[in-house]
Amino acid sequence: MKYKGKLFRASKEATGDLNAKVGKIPQQLKSLFVLFLVLISLFFLLRHFFTPDTFGKYGHYRAAAIDSIMSQPLRYAGAQLCMECHDDIYALKIESYHRDVSCEGCHGPAIAHTEDPSEFVPPAPRERGYCPLCHEYNPSRPTGFPQIDLTSHNPPKPCIDCHDPHDPKPPHTPEQCSACHAEIYRTKAVSHHAPLLCTRCHEAPEAHKDQPRMHLPSKPTSRTFCGECHAMEADSPKDIPRIMMSDHGIGYVCWQCHYPHYPEVR
Amino acid sequence: MEDHFEELLLNLKQVVGFIFPNEIELHWGLLIVVYPYVTGLVAGAFILASLERIFNIEELKPTYRLSLITALAFLFVAPLPLLSHLGHPELSFEIFLTPHLQSAMAMFGFVYIWYLMVVLLLEIWFDYRKDLVVWSRNETGLKKYMYKILTLGATDLSDRALRFDKKAGKFITIIGIPSAFILHGYVGFIFGSVKANPWWSSVLMPIVFLFSAIVSGIAIMILIYGFTTLIRWKKFQMGCLDKLGSYLMYAIILDLSLELLDFIHRLYESEESIKIISQMVSSRLFLSLVIIQLILGSILPLVGLVLVRVRPLPDELRRLIYFGSAILVQVGIFSTRWNVVVGGQLFSKSFRGLTIYKVQVLGIEGLLMSIGLLLLPFVILWALIKIIPPWPEAETVVPSAAAERKE
Ligand code: HEC
Ligand code: HEC
Ligand code: HEC
Ligand code: HEC
Ligand code: HEC
Ligand code: HEC
Ligand code: HEC
Ligand code: HEC
Repeated sequence: MKYKGKLFRASKEATGDLNAKVGKIPQQLKSLFVLFLVLISLFFLLRHFFTPDTFGKYGHYRAAAIDSIMSQPLRYAGAQLCMECHDDIYALKIESYHRDVSCEGCHGPAIAHTEDPSEFVPPAPRERGYCPLCHEYNPSRPTGFPQIDLTSHNPPKPCIDCHDPHDPKPPHTPEQCSACHAEIYRTKAVSHHAPLLCTRCHEAPEAHKDQPRMHLPSKPTSRTFCGECHAMEADSPKDIPRIMMSDHGIGYVCWQCHYPHYPEVR
Repeated sequence: MEDHFEELLLNLKQVVGFIFPNEIELHWGLLIVVYPYVTGLVAGAFILASLERIFNIEELKPTYRLSLITALAFLFVAPLPLLSHLGHPELSFEIFLTPHLQSAMAMFGFVYIWYLMVVLLLEIWFDYRKDLVVWSRNETGLKKYMYKILTLGATDLSDRALRFDKKAGKFITIIGIPSAFILHGYVGFIFGSVKANPWWSSVLMPIVFLFSAIVSGIAIMILIYGFTTLIRWKKFQMGCLDKLGSYLMYAIILDLSLELLDFIHRLYESEESIKIISQMVSSRLFLSLVIIQLILGSILPLVGLVLVRVRPLPDELRRLIYFGSAILVQVGIFSTRWNVVVGGQLFSKSFRGLTIYKVQVLGIEGLLMSIGLLLLPFVILWALIKIIPPWPEAETVVPSAAAERKE
């Protein structure tokens, strides 16, 4: 009994203490406490009701997202499907240099075509501008990737006049300088220097053909070089026009006035 | 779909060198440029206010409250560019419901909420509480109720309560500064932690972001203070402007040296990416980085601000220099964000080529949208100024506690 009374008194003191303490807490803190309590409970409430059902089924995401992505319309059919009807082309291409280029990479998304070939026929890129997207010369393309210079590679004919897109024949490897320096080659071919080999004036190491930039050929450096054929006293065929080395264009190298690949005198 | 390909083809024509197919088109466009720019302004304005608060800088008094509510106005807008960038903005709330603690991007919402609720709103609330209470007593009609709600029922105006407001405000400022650092450092962190991107990946990134944030925040406060003073036909407090100007100068010096440090470090390290990066800087980014960011946005304002310090100039001219510098700095910092965000996507990860970015005008990620998002904070600021005027003369005088008791 006595014990109980003590306990009662003690608890009464405690609540009194608490009251005093609570009274001391600034009013602002109480309001904020209530506000944050409401907000935090709101958060948990929302979390309870709005967390997507399938969340966490496979990982930290909404499993149903997979279904909604799967339900997006397909556009590409894949080469396997093309094979069912165009087996000839497929067989041709699979052996060709274009084996790794997909049908729809050139023909565009064609799933509608596989469902009903007469309803939708995929376009075929017949124009000349298309193939250079991959084959135009670009220094950063990997070495050895077949490239052409659009302005000089047989303009203005469409590429498919000479190359079958499904079986681009391997053209002979560039054993001559023309494969890469086609413009210079063509220019020279119609100039007075046509009979001269490139290597008469440029010492080109074999490696230049594999890694052109790493192994640059030489270029003529002095007037005496041209003089080997064109000087009055030069030991060269008679029909070559001669000049007086001592007073012709003195003070300049010859190619400041004559383009060596297309020398003209006018 | 076809239009899209047409566009890609146009871009492809301007690609230099070799790039991977998925690099033709930039995925983070103008909106993602706007986002760090806006958060930078928030952090910068807040840090400016905090300096005033912690170090009790008398000259800056006129901009204290203005800075706080400017920060608030910009903070409201900060997530909007991100939301408009999302494919499914209506699902974005789920990121809050299911926090992913290991994903820096997923934590943005929480960083944001912390900064908004626990730092900015609380500091403003404590600072304005006595005014809110007085206004709620003096105003009539709807306004009265609005202020009543804003007081959250804490209407105690006793000395003790007011002293507590002050103390709490200071305390929050002290948590606020690291929080502001986190908010904007966070944005830098997001970029800085992209390992695969040599233009971004740098530990200095959060720090550089932070200091450029401070620069832009101080500059925007010079502009807002100037503009609001003009349209209210008040006299400029040159002391305040001078102080802001000198802070701006120091901030620019710090920011510039950090950026130079980053730059020199890159050059010295000379990683394999350095070639393509220097190619990018000297071609695609030349205008926005060298001309706008460096020369117009940093060096020119710096020269002006230093000039003001070494030569006694008349008030008129000083003001002109401050406003001019502040405008240049804004353009410069916007450019900084552009260079980081867009620059990081212009070069190929193969380090062999550059793509191109063309800003669209229309559309949800276009120019008009971005301009709208950049103007919106000013509309919000205007509304905030109407509700809680930040001017010193609007501050209420609390009837003394004794008078209160007599009532
Ligand atoms: C169900 C059989 C079938 C399948 C599968 C199919 N095609 Fe066809 N394709 C046809 C028929 C039939 C035609 C001739 C249609 C015509 O000329 O009206 C045709 C024509 C074409 C043409 C000619 C267009 C032109 O300009 O001449 C192209 C290109 C083509 N298909 C590409 C493809 C590709 C790529 C695929 C794989 C994605 C594919 N096809 C799969 C049946 C098929
Ligand atoms: C390098 C690009 C390219 C690829 C890869 C390609 N095509 Fe073609 N295809 C063309 C072009 C160009 C034409 C137009 C040829 C012409 O008119 O002579 C064409 C024409 C066709 C035609 C019309 C019939 C014909 O031979 O003229 C069919 C059918 C066709 N392609 C199917 C396919 C299929 C199936 C594949 C995949 C196995 C494929 N193509 C891969 C570029 C390509
Ligand atoms: C998507 C890119 C792509 C397109 C488009 C493309 N090609 Fe090709 N082409 C290739 C690839 C890849 C090779 C194989 C290169 C190799 O073997 O290393 C190749 C090889 C070739 C070759 C063989 C060259 C050689 O000697 O190895 C020729 C010729 C060729 N293509 C012509 C064309 C023509 C003509 C077109 C347009 C109808 C075309 N290509 C369109 C990617 C493309
Ligand atoms: C007049 C016929 C003709 C036309 C048109 C033509 N080519 Fe060629 N192409 C050739 C010949 C012949 C060769 C091989 C000779 C050589 O190596 O120079 C060749 C070689 C190539 C090579 C291989 C180069 C190498 O280094 O292995 C490619 C790639 C190529 N052509 C692409 C194209 C493209 C793309 C077009 C369209 C823009 C095109 N061609 C148009 C005749 C043609
Ligand atoms: C595989 C393609 C290729 C072949 C084949 C090729 N070249 Fe080159 N050549 C290049 C490239 C690429 C360059 C560098 C062009 C540049 O830097 O703008 C070059 C540069 C040159 C230069 C200029 C060097 C300089 O210092 O500017 C000369 C001269 C030259 N080649 C001569 C030749 C000769 C002669 C041949 C034939 C024996 C030849 N090339 C064969 C690709 C080739
Ligand atoms: C008559 C001597 C001569 C012949 C033959 C010749 N070149 Fe040259 N070539 C020169 C000279 C001289 C230069 C240096 C021009 C200069 O420096 O301005 C040069 C420069 C070049 C260059 C450097 C780029 C340029 O246009 O200046 C290339 C590439 C080149 N030649 C390739 C060739 C090829 C390929 C051939 C064969 C088709 C060839 N040359 C034949 C004399 C010649
Ligand atoms: C291997 C001997 C040889 C060398 C070396 C040589 N040329 Fe020639 N050159 C010729 C020949 C052959 C002709 C043409 C003669 C003819 O028209 O019958 C010619 C013609 C010319 C012409 C006159 C064109 C005209 O319109 O009549 C000029 C100019 C010329 N060369 C300049 C040069 C220059 C410059 C160099 C040095 C880069 C050079 N040549 C090096 C052999 C050479
Ligand atoms: C300052 C410019 C200039 C320089 C340098 C120059 N030439 Fe000429 N060359 C000309 C002109 C102009 C003509 C045509 C007028 C003439 O016949 O004198 C010409 C004509 C020629 C002819 C044709 C002569 C004929 O009788 O048809 C040859 C060959 C020739 N030059 C070779 C060279 C050689 C080799 C060099 C270097 C040693 C050289 N030129 C340097 C300007 C120059």
